[in-house]
Amino acid sequence: MTALVDLSRRPGGTFALFAVALLCLVAIAAPLIAPYGPNAIAPANRLMDPSLQHWLGTDHLGRDILSRLIFGARVALGISLSVIAISLTAGVILGIASALSPRAVDLAIVGIFDVVTSFPSIILALALVAVFGPGLGNVVLLVSIVFIPHFGRVARAQTIAIRNSPFIEAEKVLGAQSWRVILHHVTPNIIGPIFVLACMDIPVVITIEAGLSFLGLGVRPPLASWGNLLNDGYTYLDQSPWLATFSGLSLILATLGFALLGEALRDTIDPKLRRTL
Amino acid sequence: MTFNPTRRQVLLGGASIATVVALGGIHPAFAAEDRSKITVRVEKDLSNLDPANRSGPIDLNVLWSVQQGLISFKPGSTEWELDAAEELEQVSDTEIRFKLRAGLAFTDGYGELTAEDVKFSFERFIKPDSEGKPVTYAKDWSALDHVEVTGPLEGRIILKNPAPALYTIALADGSGRILSKKAFEALGEKAIATKLIGSGPYTLKEWTPREQFVLEINPDYKGPIKPHFLKIVGKPIGEQKTSEIAFQSGEIDFTAIDPENGKALAALPDASVTEIPAIDYVWFGPNIEKAPFDDIRVRQALRYAVDIDAILQGAYSGLYPRANALLAPSLLGYWKDAPVYARDLEKAQALLAEAGHADGFKTKLTIEANARYEAIAQIIQANLAEVGIEVEIEALESAAYWALGENDASKDLELSLIKYNGKFDPGFQTQWFTSAQVGQWNWQRWKNADFDALHEKGGITVDPAEREKIYIEAQKLLDESAAFIWITHNFNAFASRKWLKPGVLPNGNNWLYTAFTEATA
Repeated sequence: MTALVDLSRRPGGTFALFAVALLCLVAIAAPLIAPYGPNAIAPANRLMDPSLQHWLGTDHLGRDILSRLIFGARVALGISLSVIAISLTAGVILGIASALSPRAVDLAIVGIFDVVTSFPSIILALALVAVFGPGLGNVVLLVSIVFIPHFGRVARAQTIAIRNSPFIEAEKVLGAQSWRVILHHVTPNIIGPIFVLACMDIPVVITIEAGLSFLGLGVRPPLASWGNLLNDGYTYLDQSPWLATFSGLSLILATLGFALLGEALRDTIDPKLRRTL
Repeated sequence: MTFNPTRRQVLLGGASIATVVALGGIHPAFAAEDRSKITVRVEKDLSNLDPANRSGPIDLNVLWSVQQGLISFKPGSTEWELDAAEELEQVSDTEIRFKLRAGLAFTDGYGELTAEDVKFSFERFIKPDSEGKPVTYAKDWSALDHVEVTGPLEGRIILKNPAPALYTIALADGSGRILSKKAFEALGEKAIATKLIGSGPYTLKEWTPREQFVLEINPDYKGPIKPHFLKIVGKPIGEQKTSEIAFQSGEIDFTAIDPENGKALAALPDASVTEIPAIDYVWFGPNIEKAPFDDIRVRQALRYAVDIDAILQGAYSGLYPRANALLAPSLLGYWKDAPVYARDLEKAQALLAEAGHADGFKTKLTIEANARYEAIAQIIQANLAEVGIEVEIEALESAAYWALGENDASKDLELSLIKYNGKFDPGFQTQWFTSAQVGQWNWQRWKNADFDALHEKGGITVDPAEREKIYIEAQKLLDESAAFIWITHNFNAFASRKWLKPGVLPNGNNWLYTAFTEATA
């Protein structure tokens, strides 16, 4: 609770907490709060302006924009959290392994990280999805690959910083097994900055997924993704600006919320910054 | 007296000229619109410039401007006029006599156009190619027996049987273009797919794949057609929306547009919009060789489950006419009493249950990736979900999609959404549904010997009333198969600069670049 109060006092913290909480709430309660089914088509009601019936209007197939945005939040959050979970886990394992392994193994892992990070994230994700095909599963898996080095590098650097610390040496002298040292002493001491990074990577993943879906390489219809919605909005922009506007705003709200939360979290966790306040 | 301006006078004078020009007081010559050249948008890049193996209207439109035929279509009409031929006479039902104009020459030094070139060009269609396969448009000349050369510029086309459609399907169309025999022998069959040698009003000056092609006036052309523009640039822009933006920005002068945006574009100060009802055929249907679509009850269930009116409303803004059969209203053989299937979920569910699929099944719908087809696919997906059929949409990029017509690739299709371009003779439309087209363009893989026979009979019957009956019968067989769920015959709209009069033929897909002219006020 103290941490939350502390977070809310940081610049943008209140907005970040509000935006992220709203997004999570909407995603979890989507079937309960969406006024219509996200895929319920009604061509007779196509491209309607916002009204009491359809608060944000309808798309080109007469689907309720609000309902699709609500379910789109589920897709955005689901994909981004899945990607972060996979890449964080794999990255931390590889990062720690790299830091604690003989030099040759370390160099090999770092080399792979360098190769992956030498490509801009969106370009690499685009290339991988183009090769392996679109779809929810592929997007999650392939975007996760792109993000593994992000976490791997931080985990490696943090592990190197503490691997010769007295408390680690003491554990070793007492005969603790390697897995025990890693699980009980290394991981808890490096995970703070990695969580901050995870929080700051969520908006990036959301935009990558939206970008892939916008280009037709991400989530397949009829699943509502903000990228798909933005693409439909762009196609029918001349006739109705609402879909493009509201899907764009949703993306802005989500990415800004997570980015500010990440920054606030960093400020809270980083003791040096804490002292300056 | 000498005039030695000071630095201040030079600056002041320069600034004054710039201001006047900027305010529009003077229109400098370099700012005037160049009306010797036009830039048109094409939906996709050129693909195959061999008349016998062309891939569609984009190739054909270029072929028409670079290669001559004995005859060509009149601008804006389905009637024809003499082109390379000075005389053309139907001597009997199976003989056409022609005499070529003197002095017509092929580009790149391939010599005069002679009757030998005509014989070579037409007989290619009835002989196997270098790989032993028939050329893509072999059907266009299926009535041809041989071409007899009776003089350097004269000859006779001898047919195996009467072929009333020959003039519109072959002679005036792409399959009637005359190649240089010398060029073909020197360059080879593969090279002529990309190297265009002709004797027509334009030459293909440049073709940069995926970027542009450039047609320029052929200075040595001596035929009867008088093209207006010195240069025509074609830019491949796949997305209609992107092309409309390119038109608004002035990058292109002519483009097909979404009829829904016609009013908005017509309101632009320098634009005009042309609308033409089309004769295409858009439909979706299953591969009937694949279970469960090999059961006619499942196919009938599909037809009852899908709401065509909702598709027309949702994907075509309610502006396009509904198709109930293959042939459009303006064509000979139009079946005006074709059944109009209304959505009936109960019937659909009953048919599925009868076929042992009461709980539905999973299938895949393959479409060409673009906004309209994706909208149609999503409506079909939603409609079929209501009877328990779960549809996965596979949107393929244009080249990959059309490659399904090669190497028997269509055998793996399940459901597919297809649009074929229409031509002026019904026989052109029916040919794609014959048994011989399975493995090529008959993606439903429907085979029916009676249909094949009717198609053949329609091709050799001279009496229009009799032909009409034949093609209606043929459409009844298509309907009975329940393998084809017709959506629309399309509706064409084009945006062009106000000063430009486009040379569009009545089907909307085919353009005579030679007939693009400046509009008179």
